[in-house]
Amino acid sequence: MNNPVSRLYFAGIDIGSTMSKAAIVDSYTRLLCYVVGPTGAEHRRRANRVMEDVLAKSGISLDEVAYIISTGYGRVNVPFADKQITELTCHARGVSALFPEARTAIDIGGQDAKVLKIKNGKLVDFLTNDKCAAGTGRFLEVAAETLGLELNEMGRISLLTSTPVKINSMCTIFAQQEIITRLSEGEPLPDILAGVYIAIATRVAKLAHQLKVEVPVVFTGGVAKNAGMVKAMETVLGIPLLIPPEPLITGCLGAAILARDEAFRLIQLGEFKARKKQLGEAYIDFSENAF
Amino acid sequence: MAIAISRGLSAARQIYNERGLRVRELRKGGKKIVGYVCIYPPVEMFTALGLVPFRIFGDMNEPITAADRVSTTVVCPFLRSIIDLGIKGRFNFLDGIVGAHTCDIGASLIIQWRDYVEDAPFTHLIDVPHTDHAAAVDYFEGQLNSFKRHLEEFAEEQLTDEKLKNSIVLHNRQRSLVRDLYELRKEDPPLLDSVENLEVLVAISSLPADEGNKLLQEVIDEVKDRKRKPPVRKARLMIWGPVFDNTSLYRLIESTDAHVVVDDTCVGTRAFWADIKTPYNMHSLAQHYLVDIKCPRTYRQAEPAETRRDYLRDLESRFGYIKKAITDWGVNGVILQSVKYCDTHGYEVPNLRHYLDTLGIPSIYIEHDYSERSLATIKTRVEAFVETLD
Repeated sequence: MNNPVSRLYFAGIDIGSTMSKAAIVDSYTRLLCYVVGPTGAEHRRRANRVMEDVLAKSGISLDEVAYIISTGYGRVNVPFADKQITELTCHARGVSALFPEARTAIDIGGQDAKVLKIKNGKLVDFLTNDKCAAGTGRFLEVAAETLGLELNEMGRISLLTSTPVKINSMCTIFAQQEIITRLSEGEPLPDILAGVYIAIATRVAKLAHQLKVEVPVVFTGGVAKNAGMVKAMETVLGIPLLIPPEPLITGCLGAAILARDEAFRLIQLGEFKARKKQLGEAYIDFSENAF
Repeated sequence: MAIAISRGLSAARQIYNERGLRVRELRKGGKKIVGYVCIYPPVEMFTALGLVPFRIFGDMNEPITAADRVSTTVVCPFLRSIIDLGIKGRFNFLDGIVGAHTCDIGASLIIQWRDYVEDAPFTHLIDVPHTDHAAAVDYFEGQLNSFKRHLEEFAEEQLTDEKLKNSIVLHNRQRSLVRDLYELRKEDPPLLDSVENLEVLVAISSLPADEGNKLLQEVIDEVKDRKRKPPVRKARLMIWGPVFDNTSLYRLIESTDAHVVVDDTCVGTRAFWADIKTPYNMHSLAQHYLVDIKCPRTYRQAEPAETRRDYLRDLESRFGYIKKAITDWGVNGVILQSVKYCDTHGYEVPNLRHYLDTLGIPSIYIEHDYSERSLATIKTRVEAFVETLD
């Protein structure tokens, strides 16, 4: 442990539309610690909080973190980050760290779905659906709300059938109406739920086919935690999917690894400077004590 | 004179921000201002008759409200924006409007303008064929001749061969100056950024040709002289697609690690890349507009007998000019952009991307609904695309 490199740590922080995640890796890109929490309305406050949490959990102090990269929808709202990189590049890097053979990654998050093509650990092409809630986690949330179910429960119930109904409308609002219509027609709940998953999977598969799916395919993002969604995705694509133990953290893991790569690049160029930015800078404090 | 205060780039910005500035003055002095949509109405004919050509654009920051009375929401939002502004009186300094059948909605727009917009006594729609073979050029020449008679009536003046020749010389001079302007961006980093470039091109489309030429020369001299060193960035991008008349997209791209160094768009290079060839007459005008301007609205193909056997040869004949620009400007990535519902450009996208693949040039396709706000969602994709470039 006398090697100075082994005492350097690197952090990645991913502020998604729904969830915020942070991860710390060491110089050998080993994942030491991660945390996951809801994003909420105040991005900057959330960024500080999630960073504080991951430091506390890992027992590493901020001074020991050599470089921080922020990513995700709220990446510009991480005042203490040294660099911002898009979630597309970070996901690709994180996925390759977990599955070095991966050629395609499908990520479904709270408000977008993305398909990534990966070659030699690098992002080479991508497509996103970020204009509408169809084919995203939000679509599932609306369906769950309509039916008064928890998301996990919804996944489990959908697995009870092999005869999903057809949900034709891909517009989130129209689909909601369609679900209600099916319920009133007396269709069994599992069939309707399985139909909802198939509808989303079909939408995302369309994106994937535009880029030509190459195996192995990794499935990530919050939606990959849902058993019903995984089954639907595998059915529609006709191939088994690889799923990380924690599908939410590929983005922040990739950001942390890219932070390590960037720091090493700067060290080699002789341009590396110890980071000065601290937590809590430049954000509005909405906590009770502030008023 | 309001614009006499500034010169060069600052004059360009001033006119970009208030496009009617100069033509309103000219109108007070007795000039007739004729608006045109798209780059197919031959502006040489306007200039030859002493009319001031004024390119009509939309406004990405003006919500479309009045146009809902005359069109549905599932057509080109750029053209909807134009009719919207027309109905709202934004172009009340125009004495007429000329359109061309570049696409179906573009043609309908002129008819709607005639029927719904007040204060535009002169309207003319030029029929433009959609293929570029010899018989189509002859037909188009006939259409230009009938436009000529209509325009002469409106201007109360004969369009003589002499006047046409002089005007073509003036406009060819403008084409050559615009190409000189683009030369400045061959450097790495480019001496002129894409935001400035667009401001200049929008400005010259709001001025008489001679004043536009003067402005171009001022800008070129100013840029060559300035000491400011532009930032070094890793990507040199080309932008392809239909009209983009607003600097917002270029600002967005230039906020990433990329310069836009060249384009194939109809506010940028398309109208200026080729000169009108001698002998200067109605036939050479027809030849220029139908054959030499490269826009997906005109279908260009290799010899029909060969195309089915040789798809790549067809791609080469349609997109070869893009390869040349990529080489000459040292482009390492192409952003294909299109306005929503533009089937003219949309149908070209898969073929063009395939062609770029064969050249080993990475590309990305983005679509917007002609509003500045819709561009925000594009930013992550543009950034990620730049990150993938080596």
